[in-house]
Amino acid sequence: MSEYLCHDFKTPRTDTSRRLPSSFRAIPIIFYVALVGSAYVMTMDYFNYKKALTQKTEAEERRKLSESQRDASKAEKAELESEAFKAEKVAEWMEGARNIQPIAVKIARAVQAETRITQVALERSEQVPANLALTIHLNGSKVSSELSAIENALGQLLYRSYSPQQTKNGDVVEYHSTLVRQSE
Amino acid sequence: MLLDEIKSVLSFAAFKADPDDSAVPWGKRYEARKSLLINVSRGSVSWRSINKRGRFEEGGMQEGELADAAPQRGDEWRGMCEGGWCSVSVNHRFIISLENNLMRGDNCVSLLRTNPRAVLGPKYDRGKRYAICHHPETTASLLLAVEESLVKVTEDVLKTVNLKPGRVCCGLFAMLEHAILSIFRANSGGTPSNFVLIAACEGSLGVLVQQEGQWRDIRCRSGLGPEAVETALQIISPLLSKVPEGSPIYFIGDGHDNKFRTEIMLHLDKVGASDLTQDDLLWTIIGEH
Repeated sequence: MSEYLCHDFKTPRTDTSRRLPSSFRAIPIIFYVALVGSAYVMTMDYFNYKKALTQKTEAEERRKLSESQRDASKAEKAELESEAFKAEKVAEWMEGARNIQPIAVKIARAVQAETRITQVALERSEQVPANLALTIHLNGSKVSSELSAIENALGQLLYRSYSPQQTKNGDVVEYHSTLVRQSE
Repeated sequence: MLLDEIKSVLSFAAFKADPDDSAVPWGKRYEARKSLLINVSRGSVSWRSINKRGRFEEGGMQEGELADAAPQRGDEWRGMCEGGWCSVSVNHRFIISLENNLMRGDNCVSLLRTNPRAVLGPKYDRGKRYAICHHPETTASLLLAVEESLVKVTEDVLKTVNLKPGRVCCGLFAMLEHAILSIFRANSGGTPSNFVLIAACEGSLGVLVQQEGQWRDIRCRSGLGPEAVETALQIISPLLSKVPEGSPIYFIGDGHDNKFRTEIMLHLDKVGASDLTQDDLLWTIIGEH
């Protein structure tokens, strides 16, 4: 005999429907599994979204920091370039500004004893330090030959007279020229 | 309506047994739910409630007919159950008879409810409701016939106090069935060739005699009352003499008052009767099985 089940003779109801088969329990189970799965995915999505927002904010801050650092570097570079340019100019000027003592010695040696030099002036151009404005006041009988000798002597020092002018003022001949250094 | 059906599927309610599905034990139908058990005898009504954990709680008894007790106890009873569902044991206006060669099968019980003529044939009576208990080893069967009018009146009375009977059964017959199964199991799947089984339930008495492995006689009486020990003995004594001396005598009983059981066991002890009674047996049978 199987498990005892108490008898029943109540009046059967007419408004009942057949019970669903047990295999149909899979439907609500799948529904709840899907619900839990969806909730899990949505929760993870939410947290990932929040995390992405935080990362985005951090990235924005990093970008701003990098941009400010880049701008600072650019400004520093520009300043350095400016300084370098100035230094280059100074270096160029220094390089162009050669000693004038050899010129004075050459002039002195090129002039004969009977010719007197009353005045010698050498003025360096600020813009082009290699160029020198030469002014000589000579007093003597052979001034022209003396001037040629001076030009030759300066030519040995690789200076060439540019736009020489002579002016006679009584016994004194005033000589003006611009000495331009020639490249070797 | 569609929403209710969807809700019932998603809450798994659609897969649970209906509260009045007789194919499912009462305890399983009302798992984790309160339910009410009512026993209707001639001249008295008793009841017991089962809590959500399946344990028995408060009960009570009232003298009088169900139609008188129900209006007075309706509120109390409704508070003891969920949805108004209750299990009812009717313990009077029934006859238990011995039959042979009745139809057996898995659908026999449901067929007996829906089309009793197909099971009983010419023995079917229109004004009766039936239940059946087969002998585990032979072709004999115990057939319970209850007045249909009593069943309907009982159901109607309960409906007037908003209670819905999930089961209507006969407590005495249920105890007989339970005792037969217990004896069968206690004897390792067989029954003693000779025995007498006495069942008493709330003033109803049933005595079954088995001789040489066959059910030979059944006597039943209802409306005895707890003090009718002498009347009960008059029914039992002739049947005890039918079995050989030393044959097992089994007694099983339950009732609100233990007086009947105590007094009758004083007499039955003399013939070596075994008392199979357990606490709250009637309520256990109709509230769990």
